Amino acid sequence: MKNLINFLIQYSVVFLFLLLEIISFSLIVKNQEYQKSVFLTSSNSMVSGMYEWSNSVVEFFKLRAANDNLSEENTALKNQIINLQNKLSTLKPEASDSIHFRIPPEMEYRFISAKVINSSTNKLLNYITLNKGSIDGIKIDMGVISDEGVVGIVKTVSQRFSVVIPVLNPKSDISCKFKRNNYSGGLIWSGEDYRYASLTDIARHVELALGDTIVTSGYTSSFPEGIPVGNIEDFKIKESDAYYKIKVKLSVNFHTLSHVKVINYLNFQQQKDLEKKSEEQL
Amino acid sequence: MPTVLQNIFSFIFLVLFQVLVLNNIQFLGYINPYLYILFILTLPVQMPRWFLLILAFILGISIDIFSNTLGMHAFATVFVAFFRDGIVKLFTNIEEGNNPTPSFYTFGVSGYIKYIVVIVLIHHATLFTLEAFSFVHFWILITKILLSSLVTILLILGIQSIKTK
Repeated sequence: MKNLINFLIQYSVVFLFLLLEIISFSLIVKNQEYQKSVFLTSSNSMVSGMYEWSNSVVEFFKLRAANDNLSEENTALKNQIINLQNKLSTLKPEASDSIHFRIPPEMEYRFISAKVINSSTNKLLNYITLNKGSIDGIKIDMGVISDEGVVGIVKTVSQRFSVVIPVLNPKSDISCKFKRNNYSGGLIWSGEDYRYASLTDIARHVELALGDTIVTSGYTSSFPEGIPVGNIEDFKIKESDAYYKIKVKLSVNFHTLSHVKVINYLNFQQQKDLEKKSEEQL
Repeated sequence: MPTVLQNIFSFIFLVLFQVLVLNNIQFLGYINPYLYILFILTLPVQMPRWFLLILAFILGISIDIFSNTLGMHAFATVFVAFFRDGIVKLFTNIEEGNNPTPSFYTFGVSGYIKYIVVIVLIHHATLFTLEAFSFVHFWILITKILLSSLVTILLILGIQSIKTK
């Protein structure tokens, strides 16, 4: 017994070392199930509050670019209004009271604007923290876009903050398609460069060209159809391969991301319930 | 007593500097220096090892909480803290009873540089390997480790050569 105690005292530092390493390692492994650790990550309000403060300083230097973006968007929207007004006025004489206008159910969206208060682009697993949470109506699985295109999907929500898994994370899998011919595939990030991602599952018979635009397919309920994702930068296919290797230049610059919109799809629950019901009946 | 206060201050400063400034540096997508390891490097040589390990763990976990990487920095920092004493003995010959703070003056220039280089390389290698969690992108991993270590080492040497003591 005395020997045992002596042994323990002699090697106490080694045991402490092993204990601390085991704690750290189990934290890393547990962290793969991301939700469990929300308490200790940047959804934690104290840390987020500090980031918000630091961001308010940095944001000042990005105002110019943000203004440019806003005015561009403004003109695009104005043009759209004019187009729609023209269409409406041409339709008016024919449209009597009996025909009433109805928005298709998959297009009923509302946007919640939010600000990025923490983000990374150089890790293998990148995350983005937003300054809006469940109070503002953000829920898990909502899509996030910026004026330039797709950003990611909301993964965890606390009362006042939320964490987004962006395209720059191997865990994200966003369904995309070619604007030209509607062939769809999954967008995956390879972990090297924050400007590029790769598109998978495009079979070799599909016709491609450099610079083709890639947009969201609308098959996942997080995003409506047709939001820009990027352009084809480069594609390769070997003699023996069945699928193309396509390098996509992302339209969003994740390095300067500051204002985003969270998409609130109003018929999400209804669609999910119906799909679940029909699966159960089979 | 002043050294304790000095160390508490440098702990807070290094964590904030790392989180608010250095974590935003993403030069070429490869270089992300982790300067906070300087805290472990400047603690007195004869500090009890158990205390050093616990300090390393607290330092690592603070960085982790801010950068969404729970456990990774803690693991790497505790890892180098454990081997620090051995590395000090390897490169320097400090007399019994002396308790110097590592610097150019106490270790000698070449001894100090070797000490910094080895510890930073071990720390960065552990950290980036844990982050990748696989050897699939082996060469990217190696480039990241080497480039980031180089920048960290240069930063540390620069800071230490300014210090006069």
